[in-house]
Amino acid sequence: MPVKVHIHLTHRRFTDGKEVVEAEGQTVGECLNHLIQQFPGMEKAIFAKKDKLHNIVEVYLNHASAHPNELAKPVKDGDEIHLILMLAGG
Amino acid sequence: MLTPDERERYDRQILIEQIGPEGQEKLKRSRVVIAGAGGLGSPIAIYLTAAGVGMIRLIDHDRVSLSNLNRQILHWEEDIGKKKVQSAATKLRNLNPGIKIEAIDETITEANVSHLLEGCDAIVDAMDNLSTRYILNRCAIEKNIPFFHGAIRGFEGRAMTILPGKTACLRCMYRGSVPEEKFPVIGVTPAVIGCIQATEVIKYLLGIGQLLTNRLLMYDGLEALFTEFAVNRNPECDHCGQIK
Ligand SMILES: [Zn+2]
Repeated sequence: MPVKVHIHLTHRRFTDGKEVVEAEGQTVGECLNHLIQQFPGMEKAIFAKKDKLHNIVEVYLNHASAHPNELAKPVKDGDEIHLILMLAGG
Repeated sequence: MLTPDERERYDRQILIEQIGPEGQEKLKRSRVVIAGAGGLGSPIAIYLTAAGVGMIRLIDHDRVSLSNLNRQILHWEEDIGKKKVQSAATKLRNLNPGIKIEAIDETITEANVSHLLEGCDAIVDAMDNLSTRYILNRCAIEKNIPFFHGAIRGFEGRAMTILPGKTACLRCMYRGSVPEEKFPVIGVTPAVIGCIQATEVIKYLLGIGQLLTNRLLMYDGLEALFTEFAVNRNPECDHCGQIK
């Protein structure tokens, strides 16, 4: 089930500059694991440890927040995931 | 009532159908806190002062330094070393002497936040760190005062409007603490986001338009792209989850 994962600008150096990567899985977590299989540099960029995203990483599924328990959220064919970094400056 | 001078000063915005003289009087009666007189606080304070918001309370504990001047447009070279709220108040009073500017040179803490936010109609987030944003968010919810969030980094920014107990708050999205950093930024980014926040405040005070409630607006200056994400209240939120 291909899902489109939108990669944040900061992370595109880990995806050969790709803005969108197709990934497969039944859940957000499975899709992110598939993303990491394709682009291993993404693992450290988004995961603090196994099954735990960095606190700064926000996940949106079909333009809606997937928080909390984002990794467990089911996905279907054609869904879109955005990986966004939280901002704190002013 | 508006004075003849006020009618002239605000003539062009009174012409806006959704504002009119009644709207202008509402702005005149309004009291807004701006937490932070830096990159975001500068455009927010300038535009709310220009628009005729009757009282603006500006809070910041910092002094102006040379490295602020690429983005904090309320402060000029001659202000280096001065308290930011003093530097800002001087410019704002010169821009619009009809506005009451309260300049508060304090660090916002759990202990003083309730006092600092007392008696206002809106609280604008112009902070440069998350921990103070959460202090403001919690107090805004306790006092049931709308909170206008904005944040930036580099060419990126975001904004969201929070109506306590009704729409998602900043803490609803909380994932745990994030290390503080010396964030990169160019002045045009807080200019864009600060103006969006100021627009939200004006709309709220006048009761017009559609607010950015449950809508996180993301701005990417490099791609020249605005993207919107839906955010909903989190029943587990430790700030607003208990509010019915
Ligand atoms: Zn909340």
